[in-house]
Amino acid sequence: MMPVTCHPPQVTRLLLAGVILVLAATDNRAQSNVMSHANDFTSVEYYPAPNQQQIRSRLSGAEAQPLPGGLLAIKQLKLETFELNGRPEIVVNAPECTYDQLNGTASSPGRLQVQYQDGKIRVEGEGFLWRQNDSFLTISNRPSTVLQFGPEKRN
Amino acid sequence: MAVAGAGMLCAQVNTNTNAVDEILALVTTNASAVKPPPRPETLIEADGPADFDLAGRRVVYHEHVRVDSPDMKMRCEWLAADLPQTGGRVTNIVAETNVVIDATDDKGQKMHATGDRAVYVFNVQNGVTNETITLTGNARLENTQGWLTGDSIIWDRANDRLSVPSNPKMVFHQTLNGALAGTNAPVEGTHPPPAATNSVANDTNVPPALTNRPSAAK
Repeated sequence: MMPVTCHPPQVTRLLLAGVILVLAATDNRAQSNVMSHANDFTSVEYYPAPNQQQIRSRLSGAEAQPLPGGLLAIKQLKLETFELNGRPEIVVNAPECTYDQLNGTASSPGRLQVQYQDGKIRVEGEGFLWRQNDSFLTISNRPSTVLQFGPEKRN
Repeated sequence: MAVAGAGMLCAQVNTNTNAVDEILALVTTNASAVKPPPRPETLIEADGPADFDLAGRRVVYHEHVRVDSPDMKMRCEWLAADLPQTGGRVTNIVAETNVVIDATDDKGQKMHATGDRAVYVFNVQNGVTNETITLTGNARLENTQGWLTGDSIIWDRANDRLSVPSNPKMVFHQTLNGALAGTNAPVEGTHPPPAATNSVANDTNVPPALTNRPSAAK
């Protein structure tokens, strides 16, 4: 297990990159073989001050494989965002994606599933881009959204 | 029958009584404190991308957007909806370009509406639920009773009521079977008088003949 957790978002990505570099450095193989592997990693982004103690998003995966250009190939992606009060906001699951540590983006041509507000809104689609900086998710193809409204808010 | 002028229309009744309807609307709205049955799921699909702006709490769908729920179907080319806060629900939806809505009201009456833009608003103020769909841009609504156009058409879903604030035009479809049957009966009844008129005319001809007699007697 290789958890990566820190506070400022910029440092989070750098630390994640650092972990991969350390893994690469401890590998005794040839220099070109800088690829290494991390299991069960987590990257956390926090809200800006004065709410720097509150988690804004958490990106985790079962496996992470470094790619050239500061990219990570992630399997079993789970992306979670949280409201300022700590309540879960959105949960994104995808079998795989590419995480750009420097730009803070995650993308994949494959399928994804999104749950918003404990599943009251469920989204599926094919191909996506997640921008961590402004919490913006684009589903590229055939987005399908199911809205589930209970009667509790209708008087 | 065409009717022009501002007014409010009941969705089920083809009468046009503003004050009474407004009072009824208030009564009906207050009476809606009774909990309605649960709403089933609504499905939104699109051929193009969907953008979820979590910071701005908004989602936008592009290209051939379809919204399907058991009581309403909508088609458009662009749709934006707000993302609700925790425990809330979608309160604002904007649909644009070639908006087509097919819906069924609480009494099972089907309606077909088209327009350039449709705005859905839901809110609860002082315990009163407000849920409206406002069509603008070549707004037109049609049901089995007729059709309705105006600068905008407001469908009050909470009270199942339609209103056209400005430039309304409404055409009712008559129930042809009943209406024509009632009109034909008097027409048949008007045929006998001409026959009677002819007989009078024959009588009128008699006096001249009699008038000639004195001359002949001279």
